[in-house]
Amino acid sequence: MRRTDAIRAIAFEELSDRLRSRWIWTVSGLVLVTSLAIAFLGTAPVGVVGASGSGAVMASLLNLAVYLVPLLALVMGAGVIIDEKRRGVLDLILAYPVSSSEYFAGTFAGYAAALSIALVSSFVPTGIVLSVTTGVDIGEFSRLLLLVLALGTVFLALSFLVSILSRDHARGIAVSVLVWILAVFVFDLVLVGALMVYPGEVPPALFGSALLLNPTDIFRLLAFSWVGSAASPLGLATVAPPMPSAILVAALGVWAGAALLVSHHLFHKRLATDRLV
Amino acid sequence: MIRLEGVAKRFGEVEALAALDLEIRAGEWLGVFGRNGSGKTSLLRILVGLSQPSSGRILFDGEAPDADAWRRVHRALGFMPERVSFFEHLTGEKTLRYLARLKGVSQDEVGPLLSEVDLAGAAHRKLGGYSKGMLQRLNFAQALLGNPRLLVVDEPIEGLDAHGVREFFEILKRVEGRTVVMSSHRVGMMSRYMNRVCVLNAGRIAALGTESDLHRTLDLPVRITLQPSVASNGHLAAELERLAIGSVASRNGAVVVSVSQRDKIRFLACLQPLEGSIDSVRIEEPSLEEVLRETH
Repeated sequence: MRRTDAIRAIAFEELSDRLRSRWIWTVSGLVLVTSLAIAFLGTAPVGVVGASGSGAVMASLLNLAVYLVPLLALVMGAGVIIDEKRRGVLDLILAYPVSSSEYFAGTFAGYAAALSIALVSSFVPTGIVLSVTTGVDIGEFSRLLLLVLALGTVFLALSFLVSILSRDHARGIAVSVLVWILAVFVFDLVLVGALMVYPGEVPPALFGSALLLNPTDIFRLLAFSWVGSAASPLGLATVAPPMPSAILVAALGVWAGAALLVSHHLFHKRLATDRLV
Repeated sequence: MIRLEGVAKRFGEVEALAALDLEIRAGEWLGVFGRNGSGKTSLLRILVGLSQPSSGRILFDGEAPDADAWRRVHRALGFMPERVSFFEHLTGEKTLRYLARLKGVSQDEVGPLLSEVDLAGAAHRKLGGYSKGMLQRLNFAQALLGNPRLLVVDEPIEGLDAHGVREFFEILKRVEGRTVVMSSHRVGMMSRYMNRVCVLNAGRIAALGTESDLHRTLDLPVRITLQPSVASNGHLAAELERLAIGSVASRNGAVVVSVSQRDKIRFLACLQPLEGSIDSVRIEEPSLEEVLRETH
C-alpha cells in the first residue's frame, strides 16, 4: 500500500466524522446568518447603520471572520488525537501498517477539509447575496474567502498543538478559548497600549514585526492589501507600515507550519514514551 | 517466531516489566495471565509495536524491526485491543472496509470476514445499534484482516456475559493455524484453549509452560474425592488417614484427600485393598486459578 493511501483513507474518515459534528454546523450557521444579516441590513458591526457601500460590508465580514473563524477552528481541534487515543482507535490504527506521521497528516487533512467545507458553505451564499445586492466584486470576495480559509487553517494547526499539550478534551477547550482571547483581543490591546504609552517612540519596523506575531493581525494586513474596498476600518492594520504580501503570506505559512511541526514532534515523542494522555 | 530478550519497561519509578526473556513459537497459542497491573498490557503493547521497551529487544523471525520492518510486521499481525470505540455512525461493513484500506488488503475480504464472526446479518447496521458482544466480534474481525500469521488479543472476554464468552470462543476455534498471544485475568475460561501459559506477576514471569508443566513445577495438591460404600461402615476416612499420604477431610458424606502430584499414583495404588469400601473416585487436578493464586 502506498503511504498516501493511508493518509487519504484517514483524511476521508475524519472528514466524514467531523461533518457530523453539531458544533461545526452551529458556528458556521452563525457565521452564515450574521454575514447575511450584514449583507442585508448594512454595516452595524462597524458602527455605520443603514444603506452603505460594499467596502463597509466587506470590512464587517472581515471583522466577523477575525472573531469567529479562529474560535471555530480552535474548538474544532480541541480534542483531536487525544480523543482517538482514549477511544482506543489510535492504538488500533498504529497497530496497522500506518506510521504516526501518516496518521497525523491524514487527521489534519480531514479536519482542514471539514473546516474549509464549513467556511465555504457559510461565506459563499453571502458572497452571492452581496454581489447581487451591493455589487461586491466577486474577485475581491474570492480573495477574502481565501484569506478566511488560510486563517482557519492556521488556527486549526494551533488547535492540534493545544490538544496534544493539554492531554484532555476539556482542558483543550479551556486553553483554546484562552488562545482565542489572546489572539483576538489581548494582543491588539497590548500593542495599542504600547503606542499610547510611548507615542511616536515605537519604530514602525518594530511595530510591523510585532504584528507578525499574531496570525489575526497578519490576516488583517493581508486583507488591507488584497481586499482594498474593506481597507478603511481595519484597526491596527491601517497604521502599520506597508509590508509586501509575500512576507505576510509566508508569515501565515510559518505560523501553520511551525504549529504543525511542533505538534507532530510532541505527538511522536509522547507516543514513544507512552505519555500521550 | 518472536523472541523477547531482556525486555524491560519502566514508567518513571514504576517497573511494568522486568527484563523478560520469552520465546513465542510459530503456531502456538500462548495465554498471558496475571492480575491487573501484572504487566500483561505492557507486554502486549510491546509485541505490537505500540510501546518501545526501556531496555532489551524484540526479534521477529530473528530480526529486530526498525521503522520499515515494523510496517512489514504490522501487515502480518492482527491486534484486538481490549477497548476500542469505532465510529458509531458507520456500519459494520463500512468500518471493516475503512480498516481494510488502512491495512492495504482487498475489500473482498470484508464480506467473508463478517460471516466468519457471525455479523453478516448486521453488516449494514450502524455500530450505535450493536451489542457489546457484536462489537467484540467486529473487533475480532478487524484483527483477522489480511489473514495475519500472528494474532495479539488483549482481554477479549472482559465485560462479556457467559453467552458472549461462549460466542467468542466458538469463533476463536475457527482461526486455528495461527500464532495467538492472548491476555486475560480470567484464566480458568481461557487456559483450555492455550498451548502454553505465561503467568506474570509484578512484571516478572512467575510461571511459564503447558498447564501440566505448571502443575508439576508448582506441585499443587490434587484433590481426590471418594464416595464411601455402605460396606465401609463409616470407617473409610480413618482407614485413609492410616495410609499417612496427604490430608484427609470429610465433606457432605464424602472423603476428600489432598495429595501432592508426586504422591498421587502411590495413593491411588493404596486404594486397591479398600475397593469394597469405595463406591466412586473423582480426581480433580488443581485449576489454573489456583496456579495463579499460588504464583502471587
